[in-house]
Amino acid sequence: MTAEPGTTAAPPLSLAQEVARARRRRRIVFLRRLLGHPSFLIGFVILLAFVMTALLADWLAPYGPTRIHFRAILAPPSADHWLGTDGFGRDILSRIIHGTRVSLRIGIFVVLFTGILGTILGTLASYISWLDGLIMRGLDGLMAFPGVLLAIALAAALGPSETNAIIALTVTFTPRTARIVRASVIVVQQMQYIEAARAVGAGHGRIVFRYILANALSPLIVQLTFVFAVSIIAEAILSFLGVGPPPPAPSLGNIIADGRTYIQEAWWITVFPGLVIAVAVLGLNLMGDGLRDVIDPRQHSTRDTGGR
Amino acid sequence: MRPRLRQAGLLRTLSTTAILALAAGSLAAPGAMAQVHGGELVFVQGSNPPSLDGMATSSQASRNITMNIYETLYGLSEDISPIPILAEGVEVSDDGKTYVFTLRQGVLFHNGKEMTSEDVKASMERYRRVGATANKLDPVRDIEITGRYEVTFHMVGPTPTFLESFSSPRAPAVIIPVEDADTEAGRNSFVGTGPYKFVEYVPDSHVTIERFDDYSADTRHDSVDGFGGFKTAYLDRVIFRVIPEPGAQVAALEAGEVHLVEQIPMPAARRLDANPDIVLHENMPWAFTTFHLNLAEPPTDNVKFREAIQVALQMEEIMAISSEGLYELNHGWQYPDTTYWAGDIGLEYYNLADAERARALLAEAGYNGEPFSILTDSNIPQHGRAAVVIAEQLQNVGINAVINQVDWPTALNIRLQDEGWNGWTLQMGIEPVQGPVAMIATLASPARPHFAVPDAELDALYQELISGMTVAERQETHKRIQARLYEIFASIKIGDSGLMQAGRANVKGFVPYRFPRVHDVWIEG
Amino acid sequence: MTAFLIRRLLSAIPVLFVVTLVTFLIMWLVPGDITAEIAGPDATAAELAAIRERLGLDRPIWVRALAWYGDLFRGDLGYSYLLNRPVVEAVLERLPVTLSLTALALTLATAMGMLLGILAAVRHNTAVDQGAMVTALIGLSIPDFWLGVVLIILFGVWLGWLPTGGFVPLAEDPVGWARSMALPAFTLAVTQMGVIARMTRSAMLDVLSQDYIRTARAKGMRRRTVIFRHGLRNAMIPIVTVVGVITGVLLSGAVVIETVFSLPGVGRLIIGAIQRRDFPIIQGGLLVTACVFVFVNILVDMLYAWFDPRVRNDR
Repeated sequence: MTAEPGTTAAPPLSLAQEVARARRRRRIVFLRRLLGHPSFLIGFVILLAFVMTALLADWLAPYGPTRIHFRAILAPPSADHWLGTDGFGRDILSRIIHGTRVSLRIGIFVVLFTGILGTILGTLASYISWLDGLIMRGLDGLMAFPGVLLAIALAAALGPSETNAIIALTVTFTPRTARIVRASVIVVQQMQYIEAARAVGAGHGRIVFRYILANALSPLIVQLTFVFAVSIIAEAILSFLGVGPPPPAPSLGNIIADGRTYIQEAWWITVFPGLVIAVAVLGLNLMGDGLRDVIDPRQHSTRDTGGR
Repeated sequence: MRPRLRQAGLLRTLSTTAILALAAGSLAAPGAMAQVHGGELVFVQGSNPPSLDGMATSSQASRNITMNIYETLYGLSEDISPIPILAEGVEVSDDGKTYVFTLRQGVLFHNGKEMTSEDVKASMERYRRVGATANKLDPVRDIEITGRYEVTFHMVGPTPTFLESFSSPRAPAVIIPVEDADTEAGRNSFVGTGPYKFVEYVPDSHVTIERFDDYSADTRHDSVDGFGGFKTAYLDRVIFRVIPEPGAQVAALEAGEVHLVEQIPMPAARRLDANPDIVLHENMPWAFTTFHLNLAEPPTDNVKFREAIQVALQMEEIMAISSEGLYELNHGWQYPDTTYWAGDIGLEYYNLADAERARALLAEAGYNGEPFSILTDSNIPQHGRAAVVIAEQLQNVGINAVINQVDWPTALNIRLQDEGWNGWTLQMGIEPVQGPVAMIATLASPARPHFAVPDAELDALYQELISGMTVAERQETHKRIQARLYEIFASIKIGDSGLMQAGRANVKGFVPYRFPRVHDVWIEG
Repeated sequence: MTAFLIRRLLSAIPVLFVVTLVTFLIMWLVPGDITAEIAGPDATAAELAAIRERLGLDRPIWVRALAWYGDLFRGDLGYSYLLNRPVVEAVLERLPVTLSLTALALTLATAMGMLLGILAAVRHNTAVDQGAMVTALIGLSIPDFWLGVVLIILFGVWLGWLPTGGFVPLAEDPVGWARSMALPAFTLAVTQMGVIARMTRSAMLDVLSQDYIRTARAKGMRRRTVIFRHGLRNAMIPIVTVVGVITGVLLSGAVVIETVFSLPGVGRLIIGAIQRRDFPIIQGGLLVTACVFVFVNILVDMLYAWFDPRVRNDR
């Protein structure tokens, strides 16, 4: 909303203003398409609900997440405890509500650090040729550890804590993210407008930030949505194996881990937090799909319009 | 009056098992029931045995198996006192400085050789080298072969409680053939003299043992007695299967895939109580639930602060949750109705849950919200559960309790440091049944006490205990020890917990004990 | 093709170097160690120090690193203090269980995924399409270990159709083996079939819109023949690439699933070792799994090159 002096009629706009306006218009169109995309919208609503639950946990949860109800151990779902209680007599609903905080915190930090590290490594690799080989071999090596196995080993080595889980997951997810950044930066680098920018004498820093990264952002955002989703599952796996945030922290993985001894006597401890994870991850996956469709028209065409 | 409490009318039928357990000696005489020979039994346990070298490990997972394969000179009886097993007997000199062990004759190893004094000496020397509790031979200066069936232990000095600690099953001083004398820990041939012999070990999967047909039963007894007695192997083969998940263990038992389970969760036990195919075996008492405080680290270096913890805790809640309901309240440092039981000493501090008094003591201690770090581990579920309840209770009186849950080896390491922890949850299984010496040895010098900083008065009392010549003397000392423990509040006794075991109904003759005795067990039908 | 294979194998060397380095460094991060576990809870500081010395844990990091690489070249992954046996032996013994679970899951995931994907592509923009894609997405969103637990409750406990865990060797009892592997393989497959289904669908849609397919159809070839003979075959290339990625996810998934279903594979070995601080086993297990994955990726690349000859000369 740049309020320019004397915009009553339609005075001739400068080039910069023209560009700014076009960009704004593109943004609005983009948002409209995004919100009009059913997958994205459903995913977004789920994520929003998840985030609100986490933010309002103190008000929403009927009890404290670690409060022990000595007289109601392993109580099935009832009016007092909607989702039942665990082996300590702790209210499952309250623990799940507070657990969304832990999942969200881990997800956000992993996304943040993965994004930053991935961008730095990917850009460095694509920009400085002698570093490329070194960084890429390093990342290849890290990616040679299948799935979350590296995270499990790292978290185990560092000791179980929320911080260490974040570190372990960041190390695990950064390589692929860096590769995606590198690939898209290389594509952008070869585009004509970069050549043009270079020709008019724009500095390295300016080119990197203003043009290249801005254009590599879309695939990065899509990737990070999936990183977020995988982080939530990975937290549960780490906790389940006893190398995640330590008890009595009400993380969703911990609740499932607490319940596995009682799967026959108290299925509710295991089933409900798992469902919450599945729904949250489904939401993020839907959002990621929607984002990809809207951001990346090329992918979009191969995925959805290819058969028409 | 000692408060006794058993959770919610648990399982009437259990008491029968418990009585049977006590009376096992007289009831389970051979021929009294229709035993069946042959068959294969699957016993399930949660952890992998780290080793099948009977002397080289103190792990319960190993002991479960190895004590069916190996035997010791002396071992504990059903009522936890030393009895000869491979030994015919022992003669202690008047000055207490020589022990002459005579051996039973004609006892065969699984390799077909007869056991002689040569094997015993070699075993003891290997024990000094690789034994997991090699220090129990510290009082022994040297071992001399004084006959084909006789060995003489020359002691450093008189040690009244030597036989007690020598019989300890913690890392049992098992007798192996002389051929294995030079092997490294874990590298022996797993040959012993027990009723079953080793067949196969697939780590993290199973261990198979099979009946040793030439087993030399101890004919001095007519039935099993603790680790010794007259043992009969009915089953052809026994498979010890490792299933880490308690849920999966129970499911396998219900499905009839396995016959006996080392420990089942109490909620499962309550559910299975009505199942005619399943029999529950209550192993009670099994262990002390304890909470040790670090006297080297503030705020637990302050005795007023520690007293505040003692009066703040509600033991009933901690026990009910950590043991899942199989427990008895006990403030004492020995089991009730045992020789060294010290009566009501300390009871006035036990299970008070007195928040007001705790807050007053905290104020007196000048406590200002410093973190109180509870060390616990993820490998032994009772430890973690006790820590969670303790933390919640202490937070309720205003103590800034935080839980540091690590894996068991790390926990063992951390608690050896003076810093980095304030409280440590510990199940003490084997020490309490070995009597007050083994129990108090963990709280007094020369070992590092569980509460980190030795207490001079307690150390003196411990010396008095080990040199006390008569039981009456030692009983008196133990009372003063318990009184002292309730003055320094360094180690807090939470209660006694049990072990719930379960088996298929067609498994007969199983009597719960410190390890699963698969000899004298048979499968009906 | 041979030249391509050699090039591909050579490019694996730096990767394997990084893998070994990372594996070594992970253990360097470890705060606690195994000494206390071996010595038992009553050990004195002196006893602990003696054990540390015996195990070589007191040496400086670079000495341990050199020793690690020295041993590695001799195919020696160290000795497990707790299992009392060489790590190589312990890991290789478990490998078949993990590999067969992964292979079974991969087969199932590919079969189910391709079926869903083809169905969705053929019935493009219908309820079938949407249903298939929602199924795929839900599969992708479910934590596999949790699904495993739920399936145990369902099929093992409530219905009693399948064992709740445990392992029967194939050689001993093929039916028992199949029954013991059914739930774990299915659990793993469900979470990954979604990836294949989505890839199959888009690849098929792509191929089906190509001119030659239209021509074939116009020439009156049967619909099924067109889809399978021409469509699927050409859609295989992108599908094969995801199979490579999926194998990695399945391998690491197997690690967790083995714990849930009590299968004696490498995963349970590693998880058990983590709980007991058995460094050499963790290192060895991690290393071997990573090597398997590197090898699988080479295989996938070969397969890829076989489907698409252009790739061979591309790099």
